[in-house]
Amino acid sequence: MSFNFNGVEIEDTFAEGFSMWGSRIIVTAINRKWANIAAQNMTGFATSVIACDCETGVEREVSPESTPDRRPGTAIMVFGFSKKKLSESMLSRIGQCVLTCPTTAIFNGIPRAESDEMLDVGKSLRFFGDGYQVKMRMNDGLGERVRFWRIPVMEGEFLTEELYGAKKAVAGGNFLIMGEEERSTLEAAERAVEAIHTIPRIITPFPGGLCRSGSKVGSKYAFLKASTNTPFCPTIKHTFKGSKTPEKVNSIIEIVLNGLDEPSVRRAMGVGIKAAVEVGGIKKITAVNFGGKLGKFKIGLKESLEAT
Amino acid sequence: MPIEAENITPDLVVGKQLSEIERLAVYTGNRRHNLAELFEIRGDVADEVGNQTIVVEGETSLVKYIGSSMSAGKIIIEGNAGMHLGSRMSGGEIQVKGSVDDWAGAEMSGGYIRVNESAGNRLGSGYRGSPEGMTGGVIVVDGNVGQECGAFLRRGMIVVRGAVAPFAGVHMNGGQIFAFGHVSKRVGASAKGNGGLIACLGGVEQMLPTYIYDSTYRPTFMRVYLQQLSENLGVKEAAKFTDSPLERYSGDLACGGNNEIFVVSS
Repeated sequence: MSFNFNGVEIEDTFAEGFSMWGSRIIVTAINRKWANIAAQNMTGFATSVIACDCETGVEREVSPESTPDRRPGTAIMVFGFSKKKLSESMLSRIGQCVLTCPTTAIFNGIPRAESDEMLDVGKSLRFFGDGYQVKMRMNDGLGERVRFWRIPVMEGEFLTEELYGAKKAVAGGNFLIMGEEERSTLEAAERAVEAIHTIPRIITPFPGGLCRSGSKVGSKYAFLKASTNTPFCPTIKHTFKGSKTPEKVNSIIEIVLNGLDEPSVRRAMGVGIKAAVEVGGIKKITAVNFGGKLGKFKIGLKESLEAT
Repeated sequence: MPIEAENITPDLVVGKQLSEIERLAVYTGNRRHNLAELFEIRGDVADEVGNQTIVVEGETSLVKYIGSSMSAGKIIIEGNAGMHLGSRMSGGEIQVKGSVDDWAGAEMSGGYIRVNESAGNRLGSGYRGSPEGMTGGVIVVDGNVGQECGAFLRRGMIVVRGAVAPFAGVHMNGGQIFAFGHVSKRVGASAKGNGGLIACLGGVEQMLPTYIYDSTYRPTFMRVYLQQLSENLGVKEAAKFTDSPLERYSGDLACGGNNEIFVVSS
């Protein structure tokens, strides 16, 4: 079953999202350059929990007017399979990639009222101060109390909020862009990612937001838990008997997105698909699912488009 | 003759009839008076304390304990207020359009006091013999403050836009004091630390020899405080210090403390 949208065939299927714990932090620095360097480092090697400790990505750049210290900031989202895993990943990544980066500071990006849990990441980071860390309090007896830790470092001082909000979130939102050739498929995918990032609290954890090597569960090799998504590999579309690659399609790129809630993921998928089908040469859009065996969220492509 | 009027607080007014309010007790020395003998009372009474506003007009420089122990609501004092304003309050807001006498906000644990002119001695401090002064809330004084401001301060914030008399933050053990005017001597004497800091953004007369100079830098955390002062508490001059180099001193070594004093670098 499929339907037509802007002259492109959209398969009437769904992306199978699954539950993860998500958190959001704001990294600030003396200027945009250093905020982005810290963010790039922190979000490295975190495309998929298939082989990474967590999934992270840059959500957006934050203007100085909107950061707590009025410096340029970058919002990062981190996703883990459990609160413990998430907390561990945040601690090690912040400790190795942000704490070490000159001039940076970090702040919680999910207010307590919107969070399901508060993770004591900053409270753990403080021990790096070796006893010289200083507690910073705000709003005692007036408004919502906030705690920070100031950690002396060689360059000056590192500032971290004590607690970081975490939520039960949605990972694995996805769709496949099937094009006639590589260049137009890449352009469509780039446009899709650009559109997706207009939706707040969404990340696309793969390189540039794109995954050109989508995977299926399992392999012919017993030691491998995931392998190339053979039905969607155009180069073997006639060799592989179960191929789902249409005849005129010679390149496919997958976009994977995680978000803090299902409506945001659905809407982000919708705006992404809309942007992708604007590019000539795109033949079909579909999504990856495992018949409902992997996750509890079934995010239909049709519903995604309707949500925009 | 001073009047002790700790019944002038939203907590003790809310839900009462005007006739009941008129009979609330106030004292001159050991003489009891009905509130109506000394004040003209009019207006509406709210159902909930958080919605109750009390406006105090007239010559009230010698009226003590206004807003003492209040937990919510608002008091607006059109002129000056006497001693112990908002002492031991835990919430709500007091706005004084004139000045306040000594002990304003003493041992308060929450809420907000704004004084448009000056404050006397022992602002936000602990009472004699008490180990802790203010433990929460915010006091902003637009003018000068007297001696021992923030004595025994434990938590919360005191902001002074004018000059600060000697012994600010004496014995403090936490909390923050921000001074935008000139700070007199013996600031932070016997302060223990526990995250406590005094920011002398208008200069300081003399640092105690028991404070050691560590470094001059632009602390990020100060930007967060100053932004809050500038944007949320109307202390506009705070914004100009967000990128100022500050000298960090720690002490008071005389009592093994690790309190911090930041002085704007000249």
